[in-house]
Amino acid sequence: MMHANDGADAPYWNGLAEGRLLLPRCRCGDWLWPAANHCAACGGEEIAWVDRPMRATIFSWTRTWHRFGLTESLDLPFVSIVATIDDCGIRLLGRLDDPDQLDPVIGEAIAGRSGATRVEGRDIPTIIWSRG
Amino acid sequence: MHPLYGTTAVAGVGLRQYKRGASPLPEQAVLVEAILAACADAGFDPADVDGFVSYGDDKNEPVQLMPALGTRELKWSSVVWGGGGGGVAGAFGLAAAAILSGQASAVIVFRALVEGSSGRLSAAVMAHHLNDHMLAAGIVAPAQVCAIRANRMYEHHGVPASVAEELVRASYYHGSRNPEAVAFGQAFDLEEMRSSRWIAEPFRLFDCSRENDGAAAFLMVSADRARDLKRPTVYLLGCANGAEKGWGDLLENDDEALYPTAGFRSIARRLYADTGLSPADIDVVQLYENFSAQGVASLIDHGFCTYENVAEVVRFDNLVAPTGKLPVNTGGGNFAQGFIHGIGTAYEAVKQLRGESANPVPNAKICLLAGGPGAPTVSSAIFGSEVP
Ligand SMILES: [Zn+2]
Repeated sequence: MMHANDGADAPYWNGLAEGRLLLPRCRCGDWLWPAANHCAACGGEEIAWVDRPMRATIFSWTRTWHRFGLTESLDLPFVSIVATIDDCGIRLLGRLDDPDQLDPVIGEAIAGRSGATRVEGRDIPTIIWSRG
Repeated sequence: MHPLYGTTAVAGVGLRQYKRGASPLPEQAVLVEAILAACADAGFDPADVDGFVSYGDDKNEPVQLMPALGTRELKWSSVVWGGGGGGVAGAFGLAAAAILSGQASAVIVFRALVEGSSGRLSAAVMAHHLNDHMLAAGIVAPAQVCAIRANRMYEHHGVPASVAEELVRASYYHGSRNPEAVAFGQAFDLEEMRSSRWIAEPFRLFDCSRENDGAAAFLMVSADRARDLKRPTVYLLGCANGAEKGWGDLLENDDEALYPTAGFRSIARRLYADTGLSPADIDVVQLYENFSAQGVASLIDHGFCTYENVAEVVRFDNLVAPTGKLPVNTGGGNFAQGFIHGIGTAYEAVKQLRGESANPVPNAKICLLAGGPGAPTVSSAIFGSEVP
């Protein structure tokens, strides 16, 4: 299993741990996700990690009711989403606050804050999204 | 004509299946029984098998099977990459590649799964993909991965969620009539399905395949050799395996149009081009359905319907043998025939084309085997009882 900080996306994890959303962009303008050290579009290797606001729209979602192993720290049910980050198009996995169990709507605007998810004794930096 | 077209064939099949956790034998012993059954079915000396192919992280390295089978010489052992069921159909193409290139002459395609020996399948599948992005979002199981894509297909692409129920009902209908199926003799209760507990929305328990113990084996030889063996010949007419740009293990960043699909658009394109066949030529479909929505997406990818007309095509009456125009999962499919990582769908493809299905499709000559949907690498194959 891959863990934080040992891959091309290490700056993403380090940024999130400090409350910042950093995403990789090649000099040619392409956003690269999954993160890579090399841009397939232009062959370039000058990748900058750019600060982005934690604003996005919902691309898709699921609400989990079954207690799967490794989710023990999350209260059931919980909502997982794929969020399209504004003005760059990268999609990120995250969790959505779900106090009233209102079904998420694809395209809905959301704002994020940095949090963490505890898995097997480890706190993994996580974007927690909420509506509006 | 494409080199795969009608040049190799399945000459024998063997299946052993039990409830999960109920196998009387360890995994390797169950597999040996299935292989011996496939050879006996064909009237073929198991010692003359010289190749083996599997998929989906099967744990049984072929060299370990040699003593039990009496194998004289091992010439080919290989697997299709990928932890999901995406490789099930591709395994037949790999076996054909070995035979047609002269690297082996009698190849067993197999998959074995006994929980006491190999652990839960879902955990093994996820070990390929699980990373901190997923763990942080609470996404740890194939059901959740597929649920997110399903919601996009339903909500954004307008596929009515009711079609999933039609597909599930068809599988259970066929399974209840198949003596070899786990659901044999069981009445299907629509209310029980509709009120079954949520797993991950939009999936309830009945939208999910549930694992069984067991093994299946298929003896593949050249078409010429198969015609001399005792069972009706089931020809491999075509096979495609892989992924196109914009699909794969991309942390949910697949091409937007491909995202809600089952990953088969490029596979179906190649399969139909290589065989000269089209969806209209397919008499019956064996459809790997890990989850209901992915089964529907697979039917769309393979050209049987579109986002627009899916509700007209994916109807219970249209999906059941002998009267439906698109009979699907005539053995019961993963839902109701049994789920040994999808290998049962290939078994039913052979049974159907040999005229031995419990739910025969009149004059079925061409069968599509659509492999595990939604996997990063997927595959499909077309089999025929003759070479059209
Ligand atoms: Zn570039």
